[in-house]
Amino acid sequence: MQRPPIAAAVLGIAAALASLLPIGYLLLRLAEGFEAALAELVRTRTLELLLNTAGLTLSVSLTALALGILQAWLTVRTNLPLAPVFAVLATLPLAIPSYVLALGYLSIFPWFSGFWAAWLTLSLATAPYVFLAVSAALISSNFAAEEVARSLGKNRLQVFWSVSWPHIRPAAFASGLLVALYTLSEFGAIALLRFDTFTRAIYNAYRGSFDRTSAAALALVLVALTLIVIFFERRYRGDRWSAPSSSGRRRLIDLGGLKLPSLMALSVLGLAGAGLPIVSLIGWSLNQRAFDLLRLGELVVSSLLVALAAGLIIGIFALAISVWNLRFQSRLSGVVDLTAWTAHALPAVVVALALVFFGANLLPGIYQTIWLLLLAYLILFLPNALGLVGTPIALVPRSIEEVARSQGLSKNAALGRVVLPIAAPGIIAGIALASLTVLKELPATLLLRPNELDTLATELWQATEVLAYSQAAPYALALIIIAGVPALFLNAQARRLISEVS
Amino acid sequence: MRFRSALAVFVVSGLFLTGCSAEDDSLLVYSGRSEALIGPLVEQFEQASGIDVEVRYAGSAELAAQLLEEGTNSPADIFLAQDAGALGAAAKAGLLTAIPDEIFELVPAEYSAADKSWVGVSGRARVLVYDPAEVSELPVSIFDLEAASWKGRIGIAPTNASFQAFVTAMRVIHGDERTLEWLEAMRENAVIYEKNGAILEAVESKQLAAGLINHYYWYARAMDVGQAQMNSRLAQFGAADAGNLVNVAGVGILRASENASEFLSYLLSESGQRYFAEETREYPLVGGISPADELVPLSELQTPEIDLSDLDTLERTLELIRQAGLI
Repeated sequence: MQRPPIAAAVLGIAAALASLLPIGYLLLRLAEGFEAALAELVRTRTLELLLNTAGLTLSVSLTALALGILQAWLTVRTNLPLAPVFAVLATLPLAIPSYVLALGYLSIFPWFSGFWAAWLTLSLATAPYVFLAVSAALISSNFAAEEVARSLGKNRLQVFWSVSWPHIRPAAFASGLLVALYTLSEFGAIALLRFDTFTRAIYNAYRGSFDRTSAAALALVLVALTLIVIFFERRYRGDRWSAPSSSGRRRLIDLGGLKLPSLMALSVLGLAGAGLPIVSLIGWSLNQRAFDLLRLGELVVSSLLVALAAGLIIGIFALAISVWNLRFQSRLSGVVDLTAWTAHALPAVVVALALVFFGANLLPGIYQTIWLLLLAYLILFLPNALGLVGTPIALVPRSIEEVARSQGLSKNAALGRVVLPIAAPGIIAGIALASLTVLKELPATLLLRPNELDTLATELWQATEVLAYSQAAPYALALIIIAGVPALFLNAQARRLISEVS
Repeated sequence: MRFRSALAVFVVSGLFLTGCSAEDDSLLVYSGRSEALIGPLVEQFEQASGIDVEVRYAGSAELAAQLLEEGTNSPADIFLAQDAGALGAAAKAGLLTAIPDEIFELVPAEYSAADKSWVGVSGRARVLVYDPAEVSELPVSIFDLEAASWKGRIGIAPTNASFQAFVTAMRVIHGDERTLEWLEAMRENAVIYEKNGAILEAVESKQLAAGLINHYYWYARAMDVGQAQMNSRLAQFGAADAGNLVNVAGVGILRASENASEFLSYLLSESGQRYFAEETREYPLVGGISPADELVPLSELQTPEIDLSDLDTLERTLELIRQAGLI
């Protein structure tokens, strides 16, 4: 077995250690009051929270998978009219923070709350993760095998299950994992829609009683849930890379009589996930009396700079871990890859408070500077980039690299000259997704930002604190427009692949 | 491309890598009150004193949690919080130093911590906002709202900290059982909102007959649109009713210094208290300074007899509100 490039191993281990910081902090808090924490956990309320959380996570994941796969299949594989338009609509909810989505609904339907409201909002907010990943996978389907199966008399659904599903399953499961962990850690929308999950209980423990021990106990349950979810994903996703590469000519499937129902389904989804909330925000924005455009401009610039810097850093670490774990796999690289995921279901406030604790007491030099904030973003969003960065790196055939090596290139040079150029689009996609998520992040930004840093998200928060939501609408709209750029880029990239295949 | 990325990181860090060490003539304030509310006052103070003030804005509870984590290594000098609960948490952890006597004595004792760990700076009263066209007979007690006649006609914001403080007050006065009954009645009768401001909007636009809010929302709006344009009116409940609770925003000192004392003195000075009276339409707490014209003076409000330090038992309150199905 080859040794990995030193830089990749160092960065990978550093990222894994960073991800362990919040868990170390939680264990420290737990040790302070173990019995009280145990008492907190054995209450019936905990069981209720567990059922709520598991129910929501499972139902949102399944719904997002179903919606995302349907949207991807219809826009990539069929002769649906206006497919590119529907692809944009399917991507757009990615640019809308889920609390803004919830607000959009609440402003139109004040009674919108409880389990079904949370389920609907989060399913719509997370379906784009599935849509983008599955679109990319469907493009490289084994079209020849599909045709063979068709000619053997199988119907469309049977073909989908026997040929297409095994092919897209790794992508679907990987994005499903992101969706599940997103749901576990979500707070803003859940609080607005008044549904109790572990994350909301953790926030309430901090806010209501300043009880850090029981908050830590609840958060560690969340970590355990994360590990269970990851276990199932790894167990059932199938081998990520064994799927046959694209063969045969892509022929669009004729929807026939299903064309109209499909159009209607996608229109309703687009309307619900992006249209309605955006229209309601525009409506609120037009009601504004006076608005400070210069201030908005400043916020856009600072938000973009921070998001871009964070995206780049996350991209670099994701690249290091992917190169190490996919091209020089070892037991250690596997542990590093897994560790990067463990903190991903923790509510942002927990990660932020952990860094407040370590920062103020051990690293006062970087406390309340941009550096600690960037570290928080790395811990929170590294997994978002890992999948996108990893997939193309895994797909570069080893033989190409070996040829390069046989021509006298060193290990690192072969990676840099052969693997990276092929993987570049994936790396850029990973940076785009990470930046977009950073733009929308609020709780950690509030707790860790330098005193003089304001972003669109913090300003949106300020506006909703003092004033009616209507006053916050322009900031929300600006945030969606800015985050829309990387979102549309991600979609455009998937579509470009289509034109290359067909 | 690579150079540009490096440049971006550099620019970002250069922009923000400042101010991590507190200099002598500066002050770091953690403010749980928003920039729109506090920003102008801080600027006035900076001009009057020549002291540089840096302010960190976030929610009061989040900042309290942050202070607890920072412990004795907190860079903050002052904690300015929206409510007694957050200050109480910091005090309980031993993070607040005693307020100097000459400052503490400016404010009537009932609006500050008994152990001098923090001092109140401004007050806000819980009130009933109502549409006179819809409500002919005003409720005398908060418990009158349990009547079936109020079904669908009263707005509340159960996630709002001021509402929760009022529920805590009700628990302290009437006990948990009675409070739970009232909350369950609200589950039947009340329309739920996320914020006080939204309740006021709803009453103003005649979607709702009445609601429980803080008084200053009404006056802030009246200042914006003109008093004559207001459809709704404010009322309070009978003498000593829990529904008449006065909440305070207060200040604690984390690291005692001349500057910190000066800042506190300014907040409680005539100009500081006038600012709260006129700009945020809150109640000044320092004796001799009257609230903005149309407000009933604080001393004439028929507030419940309650020690504000007792309002830090929020956990049980949240539990009851949850049990009643309101959050």
